[in-house]
Amino acid sequence: MSKQSGSLRRYILTRIALAIPMVLILLVLVFVLMRVAPGDPISASQGGKLNAAELAARRHAAGFDAPMYQQFWDYLKSVVTLNFGTTFSDHRQVRDIIIENGGATLTLTFGALVFASVIGIPVGLLAGRLRDSTIDVAGRLFGILSYAVPVIVAAPMLMLAFGATSGQASPLVQLNVPTQTHILIVDAMIVGDWDAVGDIANHLVLPSIALGLLIVGVFIRMIRINLIQSLQGDYIEAARARGVKETAVVGRHAFRNAMVPVITVLGLQVAMLLSGAVLTERIFTWPGIGRQLIDYINQRDYVAVQGIVTVFALVVVVISMLIDFINALIDPRVRY
Amino acid sequence: MSRTKRVVAAAAVAFLAVGVTACGGNKDNSASGSKGAVIVGTIDSVSSLDPAGAYDYGSWEVIDSVYQKVMRFPTGGTKPEPDAAKSCAFTDPKTYACTLQSGLQFSNGDKLTSASVKFSFDRMLKIADPNGPSSLFGTLESTEAKGADQVIFHLKSADSTFPSVLATDAGAIVDEKTFPADKLLAGTKVIGSGPYTLDKYTAKQQASFKVNAKYSGPVKAQNSQFVLQYFAEASALKAAVKDGTVNAAFRTLSPTDTADLKKTQGVKVVEGTGTEKRYFVFHAKVKPSDQKAVRQAVAQVIDREGIAKDAYNGTVAPLYSMVGNGIDGHTDAFKDKYGAPDKAKAAAILQAAGITAPVALSYTWTPSHYGAAAADEATAIKRQLDASGLFNVKLSSTEWQQYQKDEKAGSYASYMIGWFPDLPDADNDVSPFLSKSPFLGTGYDNPAIQALLVKEQGSNDPKVRNEAFAEIQKIVAEDAPIIPVWQGKQTAVVRDGVTGVDKALDPTMFRFYELSTGK
Repeated sequence: MSKQSGSLRRYILTRIALAIPMVLILLVLVFVLMRVAPGDPISASQGGKLNAAELAARRHAAGFDAPMYQQFWDYLKSVVTLNFGTTFSDHRQVRDIIIENGGATLTLTFGALVFASVIGIPVGLLAGRLRDSTIDVAGRLFGILSYAVPVIVAAPMLMLAFGATSGQASPLVQLNVPTQTHILIVDAMIVGDWDAVGDIANHLVLPSIALGLLIVGVFIRMIRINLIQSLQGDYIEAARARGVKETAVVGRHAFRNAMVPVITVLGLQVAMLLSGAVLTERIFTWPGIGRQLIDYINQRDYVAVQGIVTVFALVVVVISMLIDFINALIDPRVRY
Repeated sequence: MSRTKRVVAAAAVAFLAVGVTACGGNKDNSASGSKGAVIVGTIDSVSSLDPAGAYDYGSWEVIDSVYQKVMRFPTGGTKPEPDAAKSCAFTDPKTYACTLQSGLQFSNGDKLTSASVKFSFDRMLKIADPNGPSSLFGTLESTEAKGADQVIFHLKSADSTFPSVLATDAGAIVDEKTFPADKLLAGTKVIGSGPYTLDKYTAKQQASFKVNAKYSGPVKAQNSQFVLQYFAEASALKAAVKDGTVNAAFRTLSPTDTADLKKTQGVKVVEGTGTEKRYFVFHAKVKPSDQKAVRQAVAQVIDREGIAKDAYNGTVAPLYSMVGNGIDGHTDAFKDKYGAPDKAKAAAILQAAGITAPVALSYTWTPSHYGAAAADEATAIKRQLDASGLFNVKLSSTEWQQYQKDEKAGSYASYMIGWFPDLPDADNDVSPFLSKSPFLGTGYDNPAIQALLVKEQGSNDPKVRNEAFAEIQKIVAEDAPIIPVWQGKQTAVVRDGVTGVDKALDPTMFRFYELSTGK
């Protein structure tokens, strides 16, 4: 075994070992927060109908009065088995919720990334290339604004401004697309229902922009600063000295290097995208996991909320670990 | 350019192209693939497709279409009539016997017999799901199947409301070959013998129904397919009505949304009698509500018409009785006793009791359970009571989960409570509030009312029952532990071309089978 591969393996194992307590702390937090909030699923659904004795009997039957350690142990078991349990309020497997609605969240997140890339990359490049120009100032200002304005503000504003005229104010209603992949637009493509594809895409635009605005500022700033640094590099000077065209210098050499840190940062934005997706889905009635999460929070459905938040958290932890691994693979300094 | 880069670039260009097209506006927003189905939008949610686990309106909307019951409420009626049964009758006060129709089948072809009925009730009581309706059948001792078509319900005590309880969706009949006996059915492939089959169900998104060819019963469906589209927010539902994504909307648009839709071209707002009620409740053991004169003075001052107009744009109707408008046994007891709002009379009541005005009274409401207009209602109540000069009302609000805990514990002197009855029977409007174990905290226990409740529950004679209800309402108006404020109207919104909504707006359950697009 070479010294290099040994250090990489050690780094990966250490990173995984560190992730375990992080996940455990997170599980405890999710569990405690749900219990600290007043109420439970029984009183949320039946509190306006049943007397105190009947409510207590139903709480007991559902196990909500079981000792906390017992409830936490059950929760841990459900996480370890990746089962996540069955919701109380509508008797669904949490795993099914993730599978059935994950496709919509994935589609929305992808749409947001495409929007952020299509806007962020050219604006970042222009801002970096034309440093201190009007375009640069405008691009930076747009980046700061889009980063600063939360989804809860941006999404309703977009809805008010464009929702009614574009037909996107009303939620997506699809009736006859058979479920195959649980990604609606893909399912519609598979059966060749292009009307449905158009309708789904139409409804995807505004939520994607609302969510994409959350990260487009990061894209612009990262690309701009990295491009500026790249353009000051010796290899750029050398390329220019060799008579390489300016477009090739920027596009092929500077841009490529400027994109490396962006890809790293992109991974770290997953958490932000997921949290933003919860609000975006709710505001645009997009049928993803986030919309489900808010419904279940309102119903105090411990099992559903714990399960969904845990899955979100695991996704973020796994992605950040993967990015660390890639960084460690590319840059040996990281693992020492 | 590498292949990967080309693919990424193509995807981005495609997304942009779609976006540009989309931003150009979508002229036809009708649901893709609807093919003439009636699409009804709602913000209700479904807790269970299995009747043994469902005790909420959203679930019952589905169950009512997919399953049959022994008895049912006819469209526009509150007296139960046979559904799967040919006939039913009390053979003694504690025995209710039914004969089923012959040749009944579930949608999968299985036969519906007395064994199916016994199985359905036995499993519902055995499962006793914490979210289920078993508490509605508190008086049911056992169910007996005799032959293929005889079902006998043995009751623990005389219960005149039993036929009505049977007619709720808690009494839905399930296929014993499909449903497990001791747990809820997993999944969405439910089998019933009702007028529709559940063709496709996506939780929190959509339920699609098709007419059940094997159904034999009194319902004559006016459509061959209808779809329930679930929305998270009323604002989204309103938008969907406006642009025609749904043909109709039912439950629940806010008064302002309804007013806005009334002005929308191509949209019709239809109102019908509702069952939701709102009460001003006192805790009779908390000062100053422990004094009858204080409660009576409030009842004398409250202007229900004003609340209905100011807080609800006239979408609710004043209520002067614990028993809902239109229900057998209803009397306008509070109107009879107090007449029109009168400050002078209220001042005299307080003066006679030696109480010095203004009386400091706290009134609590919740912003997270009764809709946005609850805030307006609480404000209107405070304004009216303060304006009388007899009260100094302190408003406070608490989140629903804590609210119900507090009101049951007697933490509030007075508070707001809402009620959706399970069945159209006067008993269901009074006993949950006035029995020995009410569902809310009132601190009020009147032996005379308890005796009257036993009397009406034990009699099948409408005259005896109505006399008991009249007396109960009279006592409540006199003691004023609870002041009825309003009864909601049901509102449905339909797009042009949808017919049958007048009949569909039934107080017991929305009748989806009455709707038609004429296609």
